[in-house]
Amino acid sequence: MGRLLLLARLVVGDIKRRRLQSGLLLAMIAATTATLTLALALHGVTNDPFARTRAATRGPDVSGLFEPGFHGNAGTLAQFVALRRARGVVGASGPYPVTRIELSWRGAHVRTHAEGRDTDRSAIDRPLLTAGRWTAPGGVVIERSFADALGLHIGDTVSLNGRRFAVRGIAVTSAVATSDPLIWLTERDLIALAGEHPSLWYALNLKLADPAGAPAFANAHAGGPDTAWALESWQAVRADDSQTIFDEQQLLEVGSALLVLISIAGIAVLVGGRMAEQTRRVGLLKAVGATPGGIAVVLLAENVLLALAGTVVGVATGWLLAPVITQPGASLLGSAGSPALAPGSVVLAVGVAIAVATAATIGPALRGARTSTIRALNDPARPPQRRPRLIALSSHLGGAGLLAVRLIARRPRRTLLGIVSVTIAVATVIATLIERHAPVLGMRVAGNVLAASRQTSLDHVGNVLSAILLAVAAVNLVFATWATVLDARRPTALARALGATPNQVTTGLAGAQLAPALIAAILGIPAGLVVFAVAGGNPLRANPPVLWLIAVIPATLIAVAALTAIPARIGAERPVAEVLRSE
Amino acid sequence: MPERATLPDREPLQGYQLGVVREVLLALLAGEASHGYQLRARLALALGPLAGALNEGQVYVTLSRLEKAGLLTARRVGQTDRPDRKVYELTPAGRERVDAWLHDTSWPKPAPAEFHLKLVAAAAAGLADPVGIVDRQRRELLVGLAQAQRAALAEPERSVAALLLEGVVLRLQADLRWLEACARYWNSAKER
Amino acid sequence: MHEKTSVLSAQGLRKEYGKGAALVRAVDDVSLDVAPGESVAIVGPSGCGKSTLLYLLGGLERPSAGTLALEGRQLEQMPETGLARLRRHALGFVFQAFHLVDELTALENIELPALLAGSAPRAARERARELLDQVGLEDRAEHLPSALSGGQRQRVAIARALANAPLVVLADEPTGNLDSTATTEVLRLFGQLHAGGQTLVVVTHDERIAATADRLITMRDGRFVGETKLAGGTARGLTEMAGLEG
Repeated sequence: MGRLLLLARLVVGDIKRRRLQSGLLLAMIAATTATLTLALALHGVTNDPFARTRAATRGPDVSGLFEPGFHGNAGTLAQFVALRRARGVVGASGPYPVTRIELSWRGAHVRTHAEGRDTDRSAIDRPLLTAGRWTAPGGVVIERSFADALGLHIGDTVSLNGRRFAVRGIAVTSAVATSDPLIWLTERDLIALAGEHPSLWYALNLKLADPAGAPAFANAHAGGPDTAWALESWQAVRADDSQTIFDEQQLLEVGSALLVLISIAGIAVLVGGRMAEQTRRVGLLKAVGATPGGIAVVLLAENVLLALAGTVVGVATGWLLAPVITQPGASLLGSAGSPALAPGSVVLAVGVAIAVATAATIGPALRGARTSTIRALNDPARPPQRRPRLIALSSHLGGAGLLAVRLIARRPRRTLLGIVSVTIAVATVIATLIERHAPVLGMRVAGNVLAASRQTSLDHVGNVLSAILLAVAAVNLVFATWATVLDARRPTALARALGATPNQVTTGLAGAQLAPALIAAILGIPAGLVVFAVAGGNPLRANPPVLWLIAVIPATLIAVAALTAIPARIGAERPVAEVLRSE
Repeated sequence: MPERATLPDREPLQGYQLGVVREVLLALLAGEASHGYQLRARLALALGPLAGALNEGQVYVTLSRLEKAGLLTARRVGQTDRPDRKVYELTPAGRERVDAWLHDTSWPKPAPAEFHLKLVAAAAAGLADPVGIVDRQRRELLVGLAQAQRAALAEPERSVAALLLEGVVLRLQADLRWLEACARYWNSAKER
Repeated sequence: MHEKTSVLSAQGLRKEYGKGAALVRAVDDVSLDVAPGESVAIVGPSGCGKSTLLYLLGGLERPSAGTLALEGRQLEQMPETGLARLRRHALGFVFQAFHLVDELTALENIELPALLAGSAPRAARERARELLDQVGLEDRAEHLPSALSGGQRQRVAIARALANAPLVVLADEPTGNLDSTATTEVLRLFGQLHAGGQTLVVVTHDERIAATADRLITMRDGRFVGETKLAGGTARGLTEMAGLEG
């Protein structure tokens, strides 16, 4: 028990002592874990949306439509209805009267596919109300994506074939894939409206004993080419649906994969970076008698603690934010509601964070445990290398340049980590740019209201995704730059004690970042392409705006310089002794 | 037995043996017989700036005392154009004395007792503030230390006399450390 | 009778940390005037605030109250840029921990303040060589700090503090990390500087360093509690201390 207590005190003590760095690390882990959580949530959405809707709405295995004059003329309604008792059928709902009705609202005139349903409580094909209530005389229920497209809300009044109806509810269904928008009325209202229209049709929903055999059933009972009815298996509906939503799904899948990749890379860099400065602690622990195993435990405990804390915050944030991305995503895919964050996803996120923290601890812990104690104590991290030519050159560079070379840009390993962070950020931006410009329209009928609304939703989801990706990029950039400024506190304090002005210090720090940032920016472009490809996007199909891509390089330099200059300037105004004291 | 000169009332007791000059002269003669002035010159070299403490007379007075005590013999040596000089030489008794001195490990006593009791008495009787007494003594010692330090730095590097002065400095520094401890103690005693 | 102009003048300096019950007065109402060419030593036990006082005098820390003037210019409200410029030309700092840059040679370390101040590289290098000579390390010019002993490193640090010919050299426990021999080296150097007319303010708990100063100020609990002038002493006094009696 005593050992555990000691361990706890060591860990907590170290975290408190390096508050700024620990806080930064925690914030970063939280940000990346939140992103990971969002990515997983999004993936849940894209994962077979049709199946979820079908389950939620008790979708039929076979849906049939009796449309004499539209398909053919052979066969009677009675024969159509008799399908309810065909062999292999275990349940049915309908027939429901259906017709085409023109809906007018605020200047828009849309031909809709209307179904007469008095109740939504059918055994098969139970439309799921996402808002409001089911049909009543004088009331209409609108299918969700249609309602979104037109901007219809509960209580609005629309004109159906010239007659005024109130919007009572909004629902989703998986019964039929139609290019016309779907609405529901009471049977009587529908028949009344259809009466002014030449034809009244009927819809039938069947449940089979063997859902997998639905296509065979549909073929068997389709009748000849002239039959007045048409049957569709649920597999066919899904295929249509998938076809329609192919591009959306593509967008969301690539987006979520990008998020996952970037967040894992981000966490690895974070934890790996922090590890570099543990050498002295290892020395201290060894000096007081800790075994190599004990040291590894202490280091591991500290990093796992931070990783866990960050992960908890991150997952919670991701959970809260998930609807922001999954709602429009789900709506886009026409699926029912947004899934609650699966416990599996949470566990996965936590697991990934801890696994990365552990993996990044082991290397330095082992290496540190093998280093001699005295070396570890006396040489904090590895002593910087001397580059005589560079140093001689720096005399000619003026104050800021002098600082940058002789005092700041001294540790290649830290610089490397910084480069990796910035490269990740740049790759993210590049991948986002490419994705946003990938042609997504595919086969779409221009001018169709639904198509237009789908485009808007697509843009909306795309924007949210891009925003999240760019936020991750920004977080990585902030980490890279802020960590560098923190590391350089002591040498810059010394420089100021020797007479460097805050301006010189700020310029020197920012300048020291420019060369690595340039490397990172140049590396980031191909990296972004690779990441995009790995995430499932097709770079060949993509049509990235080359000018934008190239503009990323100077943009990165400016961003890095600015992000370094701000904390540097703030730090440079604090009294020197404060900084020297805290080291 | 250490001989003590009569001291003026105000000066603190010294711990050093006064007879050091006797022993040194004997030891210097152990190597070879010398004239008086040669002995004086070698002493002066060893003492550096402190050589002024020795006046001519003291060396010769001590030499004659030692002769009377049977530790030395003096011979007259005739010189062609100068008055006769004496050459001094160790006797066996003198040699024994030198051996004993060289092997003697007794060390001058630090003796903080008097000052310590001075402070205790002042505090107990309410006569004076012990911290004030300490501060005054510190100033004295600091002046002395400064003087010794200056003399030490004025010596060329690696001069043997510098070693003597460094000894003075370091002993004074040790005393000053103790005085600082006294000041801390009596300061906090006041606050209690 | 012209009044003596002080090169460094502090009035009522105070530095507090913390709040309420945890308030600590590191420096409490300290006033100090340093004349040109004077050497002042501030002694006291650890924690008495002398290092904080030195940082205040050097503009490395801002006072909670009080005024501070260097050659007539007020420091306590000066922005960081101005303070940095002052540190280039008017103040030289010697730290207890040396704070030399590990991967620069002795020469490169010494020329750093000059280069920061905008000197031409050649001029800065020349001056650095002169200073290295002055501190007696001319044969160590290309050595890295790791190849130098403690005393030598501190001498390099002192040379660095002199790079821009400062008005005042402020030294914080310059012999704190040194053994007796190294201390003597540094002592000798300070003696030379003082003889050369350099104004010095040294904070120390080593009496040997303190004894080289013109004025010795004792500090306790953030306040000045006494001052001693250290000139004087008789030859007889010295021989008595050495254990010789005339």
